[in-house]
Amino acid sequence: MSNVLLTDLHVSYIQSLDNHQDDLAYHLTSHLRLNGVYWGLTALCVMNRQDALPRDDMIEFVMSCWDHEAGGFGAHPEHDAHILPTLSAIQILAIQNALDRLDVERVTKYILSLQNPSGSFSGDFFGETDTRFTYCAVSALSLIGKLGLLDVEKTVAHIRKCRNFDGGFGSSPGAESHAGQVFVCCAALAIMDRLDEVNYDMLAWWLAERQLPNGGLNGRPEKLEDVCYSFWVLSALSILNKLPWIDSDMLISFILSAQDPEGGGIADRPGDMVDVFHTVFGVAGLSLLGYPQLRDLDPVYCMPADVIERLGLRKGWKALDRKTK
Amino acid sequence: MASMLAQHGVKRARQSPEALKAQKDKETAKLQEYLVLTDDIFTKKKSSDWSRPAFDLTTRLLNMNAELYTVWNYRRNILTNGIFPASTPEEINGMLSEDLDMTMVFLRKRPKVYWIWNHRRWCLEHVPDGPVDDTNGWRQAYWLKELSVIGKMLDADSRNFLAWDYRRYVLASMPNPPPEANELAYTTQKIESNFSNFSAWHQRSKIYTRLWADQLDHQTTKDEEFELVKQAMYVDPNDQSAWIYHRWLIGPGDEKVVLDREISVIQELLTVEPDSKWCLESLVHYKLLLVNKHGEKLTSDRQQLLDDCRRMLRKLKGIDPQRARRYDELESKCTASS
Ligand SMILES: [Zn+2]
Repeated sequence: MSNVLLTDLHVSYIQSLDNHQDDLAYHLTSHLRLNGVYWGLTALCVMNRQDALPRDDMIEFVMSCWDHEAGGFGAHPEHDAHILPTLSAIQILAIQNALDRLDVERVTKYILSLQNPSGSFSGDFFGETDTRFTYCAVSALSLIGKLGLLDVEKTVAHIRKCRNFDGGFGSSPGAESHAGQVFVCCAALAIMDRLDEVNYDMLAWWLAERQLPNGGLNGRPEKLEDVCYSFWVLSALSILNKLPWIDSDMLISFILSAQDPEGGGIADRPGDMVDVFHTVFGVAGLSLLGYPQLRDLDPVYCMPADVIERLGLRKGWKALDRKTK
Repeated sequence: MASMLAQHGVKRARQSPEALKAQKDKETAKLQEYLVLTDDIFTKKKSSDWSRPAFDLTTRLLNMNAELYTVWNYRRNILTNGIFPASTPEEINGMLSEDLDMTMVFLRKRPKVYWIWNHRRWCLEHVPDGPVDDTNGWRQAYWLKELSVIGKMLDADSRNFLAWDYRRYVLASMPNPPPEANELAYTTQKIESNFSNFSAWHQRSKIYTRLWADQLDHQTTKDEEFELVKQAMYVDPNDQSAWIYHRWLIGPGDEKVVLDREISVIQELLTVEPDSKWCLESLVHYKLLLVNKHGEKLTSDRQQLLDDCRRMLRKLKGIDPQRARRYDELESKCTASS
């Protein structure tokens, strides 16, 4: 157990992720490959080590996931286009300042084609809907400067239908509030400048009650803590400007205690196997909590704050001040 | 499994180099099979091969990895473009039924994989019309079976939110849905076996929102609901599920009688549990509602209520220091209104 961020170990852990091509497990996760690249890159950015993965290879890999037929990105070369890897691809290209590689017209058309008459978004042509996909669409369109083509009223109307009495949001109308879904709905509303749809007092209360006595955050009432909720809950709290409503020192200690002090990486809970998903959301949480020497993270886009500022997309969120030590 | 991208609850274990090598050797054959199969399927997919052998290959690959969404997509395309057009409704029905069985086996091992749930939905939505005299017959039978399947999944994990989502979807899709009273009884049963099942409380809020919108007089059922929550609060005052639900029942606090009654219920619990965070927190919220909503009906005790809130908030800061800043903000609001 460590009480400081083991940056060097995490960097080498992320660099090693692609060295497992003779592991079955490596191939069993191909459906998340592009998402994984985005998670690794963002984690490196937050730790100020963006160059630890070669830029050109990464951009070429992203472009190799393009699905010509659909006009979107799959998670891996030859995989079908889906809105989740499409957002990851756009996020990676934006961070690498390579959005000029994108066929903006086609991808815009693809994303808009996934909106249903009810205002919800499907993940792909087979039609599963989820507020996660609404966020993907809104975030991706704004990153490529095409948000103006979205029917905002219709999109907001659907998010409103997914809002619950506790102030939180679910994956679809009627679904229980969940911190991940609260993040995607709040962030999508923030991007569309429609935070007036949020019941601030109720939601900020619900979010603050996610912190457990051990400092970690859970995603729903009476559930266990998990490092990935650090980002989802914190992101929503920073959008509502209520980050001080939880104990940041205790949460920092909890995230640090979930590091693997030998092999690097962060796990869902202390003593568990690490993965790049919990590593990025762990360091993203630490950045929002003002942990020293980290790069500022934009909680709305989950990307480096300076990238979002360069694109002129900064919203009115507030993270904790960066500590000096 | 150092190369998993996202996983939950797997204990970290350091394997010796020998053990790692032994595991890798064991995996080599399986990895080889997986790679050859994947390659084969993606080649067939590219050439729009919609044949039965291609379909059978997807079964084999999905058995090795049920998260390959592209292969699920391909499987559905084979069915709709290749197999269904050449089949009778009975045959289509039979194939869908096999796919439903297959996804059930997968879900028992991986209950949180979205792609498996999606395929199940797709199958149910493609059940053909049944025999002439009963066109909805097959469909209704499937949906009824779904309801019992999902009941078993929720028995195994009563908070699995994908299973709850799916339950709502099933109820909304049935040609002849059961009356809402059944669903209410289901949530009662779930709550009585575990008061901290917030998923069931949530489901209840949705049902009552619909029922109460249609009923002019719902005072009796609402009072019974307050009684149920009271039981839950008394069984475990530290469990937030009941308190959050209670706040929904009170809502904007338009009825002063109800507000007064509930405040005294909680006040009574507080005498037994003087350090209960949730008692104090709720009393502050409800007393502030009294001041803000019914201020004109309060004469002399308005100031006393606000003082009371400030005192409780200071106590809360000691009991629940993690959220001290929130209590500070509420306290300054009290000061501003006095
Ligand atoms: Zn997690």
